Amino acid sequence: MTVSRAPSGHHGAVARRKFRKTNTDRCVADLVAAIGADRVRADGASRLLASTDASIFVGGHAGPVCFPESTAQVQACVRVAAAHRRPVVARGAGSGLTGGAAPLGSAVVVSTTRMNQILEVDVDNRVAWVEPGVINLDLSNHLEDLGLHFAPDPSSQQVCTIGGNVANNSGGPHCLAYGVTSAHVLAIEVVLSDGEVVMLGGLDAEPGGYDLRGAFVGSEGMLGIATRVAVRLTRNPRSIRTLLLSFGDVESAAETVGAVIASGLVPAAIEMMDKRCVAAVEDFVHAGYPRDAEAVLLVEVDGLPGGVELQAQRVEEIANRFGADVRVASDPEERALWWKGRKSAFGAIARIKPDYYLHDTVVPRSKLVEVLRSIYEIIDRHGLLVLNVFHAGDGNLHPIIAYDSREPGVSEKVREAGREIIEVSLAAGGVLSGEHGIGVEKRDFMPLMFSDSDLDHQARLRAAFDELCVMNPGKVLPSPHSCSDIASLNDAGEDLWG
Amino acid sequence: MDLGLGRAELDACVTCALCLPHCPTYRVTGFDTHSPRGRIALMRAVQDQGAPLTTEIVESFDTCVQCRGCETACPSGVPFGRLMESTRERMVEAGYKPPVRIRAALRVLDHHKALQAGSSVLSLAQRLHLTPSSLSVPKRLPLRRPAMQKSGDDVHLFTGCVMDAWQRDVHVAVKQVIETCGFGVAPTGPGTACCGALHSHAGLGDAARTQARQVIAALDDDRPVLVDSAGCGAAMKDYGRLVGSSEAVAFSERVFDVHEWAADHIDGLPSVEPLDLRVAVQDPCHLRHVQKSHMSVRTVLTPFVRELVELDDDGLCCGAGGAYSVLQPELASSIRDRKTAAITNVSPDLVVSANPGCSLHLQQAGHEVLHPMELVARALRGVQAD
Repeated sequence: MTVSRAPSGHHGAVARRKFRKTNTDRCVADLVAAIGADRVRADGASRLLASTDASIFVGGHAGPVCFPESTAQVQACVRVAAAHRRPVVARGAGSGLTGGAAPLGSAVVVSTTRMNQILEVDVDNRVAWVEPGVINLDLSNHLEDLGLHFAPDPSSQQVCTIGGNVANNSGGPHCLAYGVTSAHVLAIEVVLSDGEVVMLGGLDAEPGGYDLRGAFVGSEGMLGIATRVAVRLTRNPRSIRTLLLSFGDVESAAETVGAVIASGLVPAAIEMMDKRCVAAVEDFVHAGYPRDAEAVLLVEVDGLPGGVELQAQRVEEIANRFGADVRVASDPEERALWWKGRKSAFGAIARIKPDYYLHDTVVPRSKLVEVLRSIYEIIDRHGLLVLNVFHAGDGNLHPIIAYDSREPGVSEKVREAGREIIEVSLAAGGVLSGEHGIGVEKRDFMPLMFSDSDLDHQARLRAAFDELCVMNPGKVLPSPHSCSDIASLNDAGEDLWG
Repeated sequence: MDLGLGRAELDACVTCALCLPHCPTYRVTGFDTHSPRGRIALMRAVQDQGAPLTTEIVESFDTCVQCRGCETACPSGVPFGRLMESTRERMVEAGYKPPVRIRAALRVLDHHKALQAGSSVLSLAQRLHLTPSSLSVPKRLPLRRPAMQKSGDDVHLFTGCVMDAWQRDVHVAVKQVIETCGFGVAPTGPGTACCGALHSHAGLGDAARTQARQVIAALDDDRPVLVDSAGCGAAMKDYGRLVGSSEAVAFSERVFDVHEWAADHIDGLPSVEPLDLRVAVQDPCHLRHVQKSHMSVRTVLTPFVRELVELDDDGLCCGAGGAYSVLQPELASSIRDRKTAAITNVSPDLVVSANPGCSLHLQQAGHEVLHPMELVARALRGVQAD
């Protein structure tokens, strides 16, 4: 369907772009010739919007934005970009949190939003072939009648795409028991930077050769563009029990997490929210979250009915030991509302401040109490505001610093506090990112975690897939380990509204 | 260019993207320029960063259905409808006017008699096969409209413009149900020609305010004003903000969607044999996302039909959007295709919709669509016939 123009004569005065024969115009002309005019948008508005994701990173600069509908069209886009020496950046829903999809160097953006078909569902083998633009929750909703779902459930699952999940090796609350995206992707069809199409992994239990599928999942668009993905489907649990535990202090909540896991239980999910976060989400969902609690845990156990009953009792006993007030979701509607609150947390932050910066470090569960205490101390020292909402069972923290970037000097303080939070997490034996990826926002923190040799090996793996470093350049690997010159990528290129 | 957008309202968007899948235009095109987040970013670009109103930015704003599904999805409570109305109003002031035929059509809505007469002429023309099939009006307009007599002074029934001309049967059914509940009904008639919702959506703020003042003045008492068109009801509940007077605020508080009101008075309806139908409920966006009173349709309808079924599209817009299906026919039809798929999925005997625009738009795709109150009235009549 063509919707690239408003109906003619609709508006009297329209600003028209001055026609200049630039490199971009020639690149656009070739893209149009390759995949059709209604699948290429090179105007300032489209490029402006394709230059950002859901993070605070604003340095992106998009070239033409393409909306291919097949593997062959993705190939064509990549080949045209190569001919014009343009980098290529794949983009799903643009809900990423680290600038991973924010293009640098006026890249050709390949949007997957129109590659959104569920191609095949094999119920017997519990595998589905999907296109990368399929929305995570759409897939699970589609499978509901079959009693199946796609297990990774990022909080953004109502909008994020399977392609984005693959790129970031995304997690989600229920990955505590079920594992992250990598455990649920069997095979990936990939278009490489020279336009070649390869299949990584396979449906066999043990595909031969190196696990290139494993290398690709989490590679943040730097190895190629996924065009079809075979995902593993998980049976819906027969029985679910969801508990809401409220605590008088954050430490008791954190200690409960450790005690639950130490007892041998593996709940499907253990999520924590602190008081500020509860207030923000409760204003949106009105789910009955206790506003007076200092911290709440959302704990879900699932499986066969008898076992679920026992597990729920065990969790309740342990929580009681730490002084928790325990509620059990009375019906599926209440459960859904609690989860809606948890999964809307990032978006609800604007009820407090217009900007947020969040980290995604993972720390050992045994260090949760200590690291949380340090985070609150760092934030207080900088006079900032933090909301904590995170996958407690995995020790995957999401401290959200809420601020107003227009207040003078506050952005610098936010960045400094962010850095200190990372240092504290790493010093406690943690890692830089659990599930959001590194992108461009956390790129320059990589040396805090990896040695020069580590980074060089990562760069070499990348170069094995993409010798010219044209796939999403300037991400993850800091200079000088990145094969492109990051400084040159930051040049703004042509004016958007020229 | 100043779009008249408040700082706090713009700041409420943290670009989280949770609105995207709930936007009908983003769903069918996949373009960021067709998403609520994208449109807000472009409003910021125009108002704060001096971006020119390029063809594509104008198109981005013009293609918004104003369904406000994004507001329901937004955890931060961005008042998107207000942002878009203000944007359109400033664009009109700057010379980006809606097409002449639309402005002409909107002017007719203000003139009750002219609209009724015009509609009858059109109806006659239809019977003589003189109208093109592409015309966005019901396939068979009523030649005559049943008279509506006032039966009492307990409640006002807002009759409006197009609905009174094309779908008076709905008003008659609503009136019957309210009377069965034991209340006398005063149809508002020509004195309240049009609620102004369509003017407001098109950025014709002054015309909308004039309509609103007229309606408020004509219904100057303290009786409830019942509305059976979700779009009109949503607009009238917003008069307080639109007009800004305390009188308007007080008026808005008296406005109820007819289902909302009936759900509170359902005990007054007799228990009758339910109609043997499997009925799919299509929620008009301005009932679900704006008035948030869509559940009352289910409360009211449940006792009167064998089975109510829900669509699995999470309240996504059908693409009607007032004049939208005329202004953006291609998009409106692609959006409707999704709704059609959702309807087909549950294979109902018929569909109910509490908004005339949605009914018409879906009827044009071959669905049998009735107003929920028409079914209630039909069930009640069944009892009376026994």
